[in-house]
Amino acid sequence: MPDEEVLEEGVLNPVKPEVQDPLLRALLADEPAAPAPAATDIPQEQPQAIPAEADEVDCVVIGLGAGGAPLLARLAMAGLKVVALEAGPWHNPEKDFATDEHAQNFLFWNDERLSAGHDPLAMGKNNSGTGVGGSTLHYTAYTPRPLPDDLHLKRDFGQGEDWPVGYEELAPYYEELEQFLGISGPTPYPWGPARRKGYPLAPLPLNGAAQLMVRGAEKLGIRTSPAANAALSARYYQEGIGWREACTNRGFCQAGCSNGAKASMDVTFIPLAVKHGADIRPNSFVTEIERDAQGRITGVVYTQNGAQQRQRCRHLFLCAGSVETPRLLLLNELALTSGQVGKNLMAHPGVQVFGTFEEAVRPYKGIPGALISQDTHRPADADFAGGYLLQSIGIMPVTFAGQVARGRKLWGQPLRDYMKNYNHVAGINILGDCLPHADNFLELAEEKDARGLPKPRLHFTAQENEQRMNAHAEKIMRGIWEAAGATDIWAFQRYAHVIGTARMGLSGDDAVVDANGRAFDVPNLYIADNSTFPSALSVNPALTIMALSLRTADKFLEQQQRRDA
Amino acid sequence: MPVPTYPSGTVRALLGTEHVSEATRAALQERLDAPAAYAPQLLSAESFALLEAVAARLFPQPDRPEAPIALAPAVDQRLAAGRADGWRYDVLPPDREAMRLGLGGIQEIAQSLFQADFLALAAEQQDAVLQALADGRPPGATWQTLHAGRFFEELLAELTEYYYAHPLAQEEIGYVGMADLPAWTRIGLNEKEDREVNPMGE
Repeated sequence: MPDEEVLEEGVLNPVKPEVQDPLLRALLADEPAAPAPAATDIPQEQPQAIPAEADEVDCVVIGLGAGGAPLLARLAMAGLKVVALEAGPWHNPEKDFATDEHAQNFLFWNDERLSAGHDPLAMGKNNSGTGVGGSTLHYTAYTPRPLPDDLHLKRDFGQGEDWPVGYEELAPYYEELEQFLGISGPTPYPWGPARRKGYPLAPLPLNGAAQLMVRGAEKLGIRTSPAANAALSARYYQEGIGWREACTNRGFCQAGCSNGAKASMDVTFIPLAVKHGADIRPNSFVTEIERDAQGRITGVVYTQNGAQQRQRCRHLFLCAGSVETPRLLLLNELALTSGQVGKNLMAHPGVQVFGTFEEAVRPYKGIPGALISQDTHRPADADFAGGYLLQSIGIMPVTFAGQVARGRKLWGQPLRDYMKNYNHVAGINILGDCLPHADNFLELAEEKDARGLPKPRLHFTAQENEQRMNAHAEKIMRGIWEAAGATDIWAFQRYAHVIGTARMGLSGDDAVVDANGRAFDVPNLYIADNSTFPSALSVNPALTIMALSLRTADKFLEQQQRRDA
Repeated sequence: MPVPTYPSGTVRALLGTEHVSEATRAALQERLDAPAAYAPQLLSAESFALLEAVAARLFPQPDRPEAPIALAPAVDQRLAAGRADGWRYDVLPPDREAMRLGLGGIQEIAQSLFQADFLALAAEQQDAVLQALADGRPPGATWQTLHAGRFFEELLAELTEYYYAHPLAQEEIGYVGMADLPAWTRIGLNEKEDREVNPMGE
């Protein structure tokens, strides 16, 4: 624990990881002899009475991003023997991470995916990650909660899907995560239901783009607020790692945080898991999932540093993200009865609108997404289902230049001339809901990758709902920039996070996993990542991925407790 | 608003300071130190010369007549190493094949429009060839099967990212984000720290 002197200079995280599931809490309370997953005194022995086979572990977790890391820590804290297999390496950000976009390309999932459809999805640095920490190594750390009606598109619009989990069930997990990760944000939060607790840290400072968006939005009567970001506005105590330092406004979240201020999994849940005995195996690429005659998973085969390994397990948690998770299921012909694996592929509409200003913006400084508005969550004049949020964006030069080339189709001297305005450019983007559609899906292609495995092919075509939402949003963003004094305004059509390729639901007829993340087809297989989202949500997915991950762990532990009892 | 012009030497001056981390300095210095001569590893000498000529029109550098920022070597190195950036348009063949076909297709456009090799054309003629490609419906058998618009977009985006990753290009746009140590504290509109750059004349 920190000593008294440093206590005053930072915020001591007041919250221990706690079980949010009431039934599990009750079960644990009824059985004082049982190991207490939530307590700070973690029993070192395994709870199981029957000794496992020498090489069999309780749980294998595949993937260490926002889906795998939280549940890994939860399971390890419950005293289970857990092994985590992560395809990418384990970095030392302080030493290895350069403030250079090109040098940081190792953070992305660079194995080739094939992008098909009328709106082919940019992958790689746009939305995918690898390494211990997964995509959280390069997420913008934007962590708004969904609003309750995000989970009920079908109820409210007759389109899309409802979630089998309600907001009230997720809210305690959101609260736990906000406190544990040290999220900086406004209290009270202007949109959504009242909360039991505010954010533990004050919002991060507004950069130039955010200030300009405030100016423009005010003139149009659009409310804005400093956003919730999982980056520390003050030092914060992190169990398992010690003090995490405050954000230095590097503006480089999307190419890796080098000082631990951003709550990527490698500086939060993973050290916590390691402290409680989790075995982390980086550079481990899983190729096969083995089963017995009854269809129960018995273990996995993976390649680590060129050598093939096998790890036997009692339970498997698949947390490889919405491309590699369905790819592994399809490759292994696993959990396919519903016919929904790879289907329902959704991607967040993420149109960006840029403008040039007289003022110097210097968009490389400050948390990129400093400002939010959710006034467009359910616009009164909407001609589409769902809605979107607005966010200011600071942007790094190489990413920006690439978008200018692709989006504005400038080349030669005009491209060089436009880029000289970089220090005077500010952006706004949306993050909007997306409806599932039969034309949008993931499949295995004939073409093989370097491992000899079929490459995934992603089909995506923005349908009428997304097109209408994009048009509505572009008009609003152009209006904000005009009101703020921008010239040379242009829009970049973009789709962000891939979602929904192994969805959860009430029945195995039309869903791959149940509300707890457990596969309908395979009793000892759980999925926890953005592939299980039944709908895309009108907010960034990371916080909800983590919430579902913790909830899945709690539900799993609850079931184990009941079985033992 | 006039296009800002920034003084030269800014990033290079910062590289040696404590504002730049070791890993950052190494990445940027390597680009500055890249040798001028390059022997292609994957592309034939002829194809590489064509790629260089195309890059010279997509990023004309009359301001650096002696030592332009070299862009073609990075493309050749990537193709030789078989590295990808995580995705590919499904309408395009694998990267090596797309590059071979596309470069051949550029010659076809040059022949069709000007009855000459691309390398023999005047700069304006080369630009006309590239504009035909960018517009997505260029002449030539290659483009019956190779998606012109997507090929051009991918080529341009890759060269653009190499160009703006180079310290000299970053000086050109007044970017000093690499000098982020120990922190940025003046981050609002028109706020600037001493190590940040103003355009010339301000």
